Amino acid sequence: MFVIVADDSRVMRQIVIRTLRQAGYDWQILEAADGQEVYDLTLDNNPDLVLSDWNMPNATGLEALIALRQAGSDVPFGFVTSEGSAEMREQATNAGALFLIAKPFTAESFKAAIDPVLG
Amino acid sequence: MNTLNIEVSKDQILGIVQEVFAAMLDMGETLIFEATKPTDLVDSLHAWVDMKLNLAEGPLTARAILCTSEETAQTITRTLLMTDEDEDVSFADLADAFGEIANMVGGNVKSLVRAPSELSMPVVSKEKDMSHEWLFLQDLHLVWRSQPLSVSLWVQPTTN
Repeated sequence: MFVIVADDSRVMRQIVIRTLRQAGYDWQILEAADGQEVYDLTLDNNPDLVLSDWNMPNATGLEALIALRQAGSDVPFGFVTSEGSAEMREQATNAGALFLIAKPFTAESFKAAIDPVLG
Repeated sequence: MNTLNIEVSKDQILGIVQEVFAAMLDMGETLIFEATKPTDLVDSLHAWVDMKLNLAEGPLTARAILCTSEETAQTITRTLLMTDEDEDVSFADLADAFGEIANMVGGNVKSLVRAPSELSMPVVSKEKDMSHEWLFLQDLHLVWRSQPLSVSLWVQPTTN
């Protein structure tokens, strides 16, 4: 599996990558620091999954997802974000996201969200 | 001027902070508790996020501020990055790590308010930027691994 992990916080990207390993996912990771990078790296690299923060500079994770769908990408996409309100979950689903993991998270919450979409 | 009617209790803030610290810093253990009294912090550091809330009564901005000593913020950073106790922490990493804790606390507080809303990027500074008119809403004094830390909520009235 080849996965893009996006967060404007370098510390949080490190924690997400560590938690993925703790959850048993030994994946190849590419890091993105904003929504524009999510868009560009996804179209350039065609990853198996994108795990993205919501609130990022340049473009939000949601804007990146909407732009990717408009560009014809059907990359599996999930959010890892500090806000897990019903309103945001609905926006994420409507834009084509598969799941939204709210921070703080654990290896167990990663597995609960990610395992069902791996097929 | 809007009515300042967002209600967030101390118990709700404590629950959020305990969940964030247990999951991200303390391997699932609860090691942060309400303090019996406030502690004056020397060399304090502030991290905050703003929440723009579109309430039925009109727009309102709320601010969640975390405050602790720089030394404790360094411990938080080392714990998040899993680095050694004697390893130097850059201010960039410290601001990133402490800001992310504020971001998680603020994001979860925002989720309690049932209204369309936006969360700002976190800001970390040695000075609290309270240059605009902020009204105190709630605060909570805490102890984490014997170190003092506080969370406070403020609101800014918005004139329609």
